[in-house]
Amino acid sequence: MSKEFEPNILGFLCNWCSYAGADLAGTSRMKYPSNLKSIRVMCSGRVDPSFVLEALRKGVDGVLIAGCHPGDCHYQSGNYKTNRRIKLLKKLLMELGVEPQRVRFEYVSASEGQKFASIVTEFVAEMKKLGPNPITVDKK
Amino acid sequence: MTQKVLKVKDNDVLGSTNEFLRHLLSSGKIQALLVPQSIPSKKVVYPVLIADPKKLHADIIAPVLPVATATVVSKITKVQPPSKPIGVVLRSCQIRALIELVKLNQASLTNIVLIGVDCPGTFPINTYAGFPEKKTPTHFIIDAITKKTNDAEQYLRSACKVCKDPIPTNADIILGFYGTDIEKEIIVEAHSEIGKDLLKDLPLEDEKEGNAREKAVKEIREEKDKKRAMFLKEKEGIKGIEKVAEFFDKCVNCHNCRQACPICYCKECLFDSSVFDAEAYKFIRRAENKGLFKMPSDALLFQLGRMNHMILSCVECGLCEQACPNTIPLMEVFIPAAENAQKEFEYHPGKDKTEKVPMIVYREDEFLEVGEK
Repeated sequence: MSKEFEPNILGFLCNWCSYAGADLAGTSRMKYPSNLKSIRVMCSGRVDPSFVLEALRKGVDGVLIAGCHPGDCHYQSGNYKTNRRIKLLKKLLMELGVEPQRVRFEYVSASEGQKFASIVTEFVAEMKKLGPNPITVDKK
Repeated sequence: MTQKVLKVKDNDVLGSTNEFLRHLLSSGKIQALLVPQSIPSKKVVYPVLIADPKKLHADIIAPVLPVATATVVSKITKVQPPSKPIGVVLRSCQIRALIELVKLNQASLTNIVLIGVDCPGTFPINTYAGFPEKKTPTHFIIDAITKKTNDAEQYLRSACKVCKDPIPTNADIILGFYGTDIEKEIIVEAHSEIGKDLLKDLPLEDEKEGNAREKAVKEIREEKDKKRAMFLKEKEGIKGIEKVAEFFDKCVNCHNCRQACPICYCKECLFDSSVFDAEAYKFIRRAENKGLFKMPSDALLFQLGRMNHMILSCVECGLCEQACPNTIPLMEVFIPAAENAQKEFEYHPGKDKTEKVPMIVYREDEFLEVGEK
């Protein structure tokens, strides 16, 4: 009997908004899949595209980067920069023939627990459909 | 723009360009000149900063680019720009790179007079240093410009074969080799006020009749565009992670390409840091998972990571490829990637110094839809 594929999702969550949003989802007892492992970063701008590449290489199936809404960045423009960096990364992944859907950037504020839960639910479902990440070295 | 003509005496192209540069330096309006020049005991032509006109024996045609001249200009101007103008002789790709460095706050154009030279291409440094033929590489290039022979083409670096634009843009002064018989005359153009002022008192003749230069420039650009388009079409094949991994198979993670790249300016590279280090058990776990684990494991991550960091500013000078000890034809991946990424962001590196690098620009419409596109 084959078990259903459970994707490994890594989330880089901004300390000031998305992490609090994830907290709110938890304290409000909203349900979302447990596939997400989160890393709190001080700003989504701290996420270098290389971290995403390294995560994909080390065996995660999808990477979610969540930051503040436009205009809300604690450091003025970190979220804008990440938005563009991820856009470039996805473009290059596409060039290299790796599914760009495995990387996702979203704006989640501290009050958007519901949005956070639904993004994760949707992302996990998408990764389940896409199947295991082909470029991993860390999983069997 | 003002166009003037430098007369070449006795078919001695280098002698006459050096005469011109010496006049420029002795005019007192610039305090030093950065020119490509070989110094004794060196086989290669390096950027040399010259203060004494008597010591100037440049070879501005020498088809070799040992180091990124843009990086050299960055070194000179980064801490404090010069207080009086200095002239720098640059090829088109290096002007593009310098403009990118200025945008990235790594160089200054204050008191820098850009003297661009038409570039028929350069040879790999090893080919140049141990040139197998009787004629010098410079003569090969002169013959290529005057269309006597096309033998130089076979020696060109692959980046030069498909050069984006061999004619300098954004220069104050351009020394033009196309659209003239350079064994008789060289075209000197001033594209800015300071350029005009510098040329004013030099022994140059007035503009030629006709538009031979314009026509020749258009022709050479069209020819290069065609070659580049063909190259891009041919190199579409490297897709899929297996193919990419195979392409970088010979990469030993030496980071030479990063060292040679004019755009890679970080003092402390992410890939030299301990960010990607791990404990022994993690390596062993990786080996156990698949039964084996290749070391060093970071080469592909470095290549793709570096590409992510610099590709939007890539000026396609090809110095990364020249620096590779294992002769990986990097341009086959970097030129198509640069082309596509820059198109996506509608960005033209080195074209306009007022244009901002894409990573610090935001448009309102980008904020509406994030994620899938």
